[in-house]
Amino acid sequence: MNWQDWLTVWVNIDRVALGFGTTVLFFTVGTVTAFIGGCLLVYLMEGQPNFLKRSLRSALDLLRTLPFLIVLYLLYYGLPQLGIRLSAWSAGMIALSAYHASYYAEILRGARVALPQGQMESAKAHGFTPFKMYYRILLPQMVLRSGPLFGNQLVGCLKDTAFLSIITIFELTAAANDLQQVHFIPMQAFIVVIALYWCISLILEKALRSMGSYAKHRGLSYE
Amino acid sequence: MSDALPVIEVRDLHKSFDGVEVLKGVDFNVERGQIISIIGSSGSGKSTLLRCMNWLEQPDGGSIRVVGDLVGVRSDGKTPMSEKELAALRARMAMVFQSFNLWPHLSVLQNVTEAPIHVQGVGKDKAVSQAEEWLKRVGMLVKKDAYPYTLSGGQKQRVAIARALAMNPEVILFDEPTSALDPELVGEVQDVIGELAADNFTMVIVTHEMDFARTISHEVVFIDKGVIVEQAAPEKFFGDPDTERLRQFVGKYR
Amino acid sequence: MDLNAWTTLFEGAWITLWISGVSIALGIVAGFGVAVLRNAGIPFISRALYYYISIIRATPMVTLVLFLFVTAPLLPIDIDRWIVAVVALTINTTAFNAEIWRSALATFPREQVEAAKAAGMTRRLMLRRIMLPQMVVTSLPGLVNEMSLLIKSSPAIAMVGLADLTRATNRITAITYEPLPPILAAAVLYILMIGALVRLQRIADKYARRLAM
Repeated sequence: MNWQDWLTVWVNIDRVALGFGTTVLFFTVGTVTAFIGGCLLVYLMEGQPNFLKRSLRSALDLLRTLPFLIVLYLLYYGLPQLGIRLSAWSAGMIALSAYHASYYAEILRGARVALPQGQMESAKAHGFTPFKMYYRILLPQMVLRSGPLFGNQLVGCLKDTAFLSIITIFELTAAANDLQQVHFIPMQAFIVVIALYWCISLILEKALRSMGSYAKHRGLSYE
Repeated sequence: MSDALPVIEVRDLHKSFDGVEVLKGVDFNVERGQIISIIGSSGSGKSTLLRCMNWLEQPDGGSIRVVGDLVGVRSDGKTPMSEKELAALRARMAMVFQSFNLWPHLSVLQNVTEAPIHVQGVGKDKAVSQAEEWLKRVGMLVKKDAYPYTLSGGQKQRVAIARALAMNPEVILFDEPTSALDPELVGEVQDVIGELAADNFTMVIVTHEMDFARTISHEVVFIDKGVIVEQAAPEKFFGDPDTERLRQFVGKYR
Repeated sequence: MDLNAWTTLFEGAWITLWISGVSIALGIVAGFGVAVLRNAGIPFISRALYYYISIIRATPMVTLVLFLFVTAPLLPIDIDRWIVAVVALTINTTAFNAEIWRSALATFPREQVEAAKAAGMTRRLMLRRIMLPQMVVTSLPGLVNEMSLLIKSSPAIAMVGLADLTRATNRITAITYEPLPPILAAAVLYILMIGALVRLQRIADKYARRLAM
């Protein structure tokens, strides 16, 4: 390993930056959409179980037993056979959001089950409509109770963005591959890229920890 | 008199935790066949003293000998014992804990045969027959295939005692054996220990139970704030203590 | 989908299964080794392992597989693709398993350790006879969960040309020009595999809870 190879990486940093930016974009939009989607899904499954709710639950369970790449393939390669042609970017966004929404829904559902009945009763007694009650009373607590599990999900979503390179999206892993193919610097290119993934995860970890201590500070977490 | 050597010899023992000195120079002997109870209030250092004897706690100063052999350090008095040496020494003693500490994934019989087979190298058949003898002594033979989670506290402690006995130890150390038991179960464990007393076992018992100490011991030791304040036979200890501090302590009990 | 296609699919499933299986087995043992090693507190090694775990847990499987694949030629010996795949999957799953085992070690009841020490057991004997049997049971749910995560990330090995279940769908589509059936069929096979693990995890959970009494 010589310093010239590292210099090559630096000279081509714009490619790396493009890949990095793409990864961050997909990760952020995907996670936010997935989280909102998860909250919505849990809301839809709220209340007395009926056929629709149970079907929804089964569908989400099924989604979670699939590898992410297969879901991506279904959207990008499979749908065109039914006449729906999605661009790689659209397929990627939708796949990330939908796939991870099912995980967020499961995490939140677990927290929901653990909430004491009293919360709902006092909310109803104060005249909250179901939606308002859910949004202002139940959801915040569900989110705060699930804290550590979100960390895992976030990193999972970050890692799934790498699969997007398989359907030709130029994200961070694709950038590493591009660099090493063109300039013959396999070690350097990938070491830089792996370091970048690591940095993102460390930042996420830190952010979650400060959110966690904020929650504790406000007395909102239940030890 | 067979053994001139005391079974346990503690000299000038010092131990601190987080800068607070808990044992401030303790000297004390246990002769073969003796039953010694150690009594004191919480924080007096009695449990620490016991746990130093088999090096579960490492003293900061002083020495401990078991039948003449140094515990925790080699014969030069300074080099720490290797793990193997320490394990071999501990295998000559046995301890009964306040919270029983049975191994939950093993049956009652397996708990009792575990150390003889895997530590002392006793053959399986011999270990099992000996274990059954001891379980019979403590009244738990009928439960030999049961698992600890099905037993009451008193039953668990009796199994723990059988486990200790099965090691044929030079001395049995009891760390508050009845403190974690419901009052109605305390009696059954005390009875078992009382019976062993009749068999000439050497025992050191840290306990709160004054009546028990009085009935069973050859000598009672009072430890307060890290030093031994008084050591005497039960009649004197409870009936006519020498020191003021012990008078106070016993007086409250009466 | 005709017979050829199904054959391709099942061959792909087989490759996914055995490469995953080997990696899972190696990863559970290696993870245990790493956890015990970290616990031993040797200064340089503990630090190194800490960073290894932190970095690998953040690295996508695709990236790791590619990295090993493109750097393997730098080694003096020739390395088969499937070895690269197994090594990549194992390195990844070991890091996660190490955390699972570490947690089991840390939460192991001190009292049982004291009783074992007092009975004259060395650390090795204690680990083998007292700690490991119980730790296996308490770690099982986490370990099985990690197994299903491994299979879900196994399509990454298609990146290095291994004809796993996901790649099989590409190969079939190349001939039939009908992508949907093979993808759906592959999806069903994955669901069966991972579904079996999920069920296994629930059974393991029940066992673990019984021992926790």
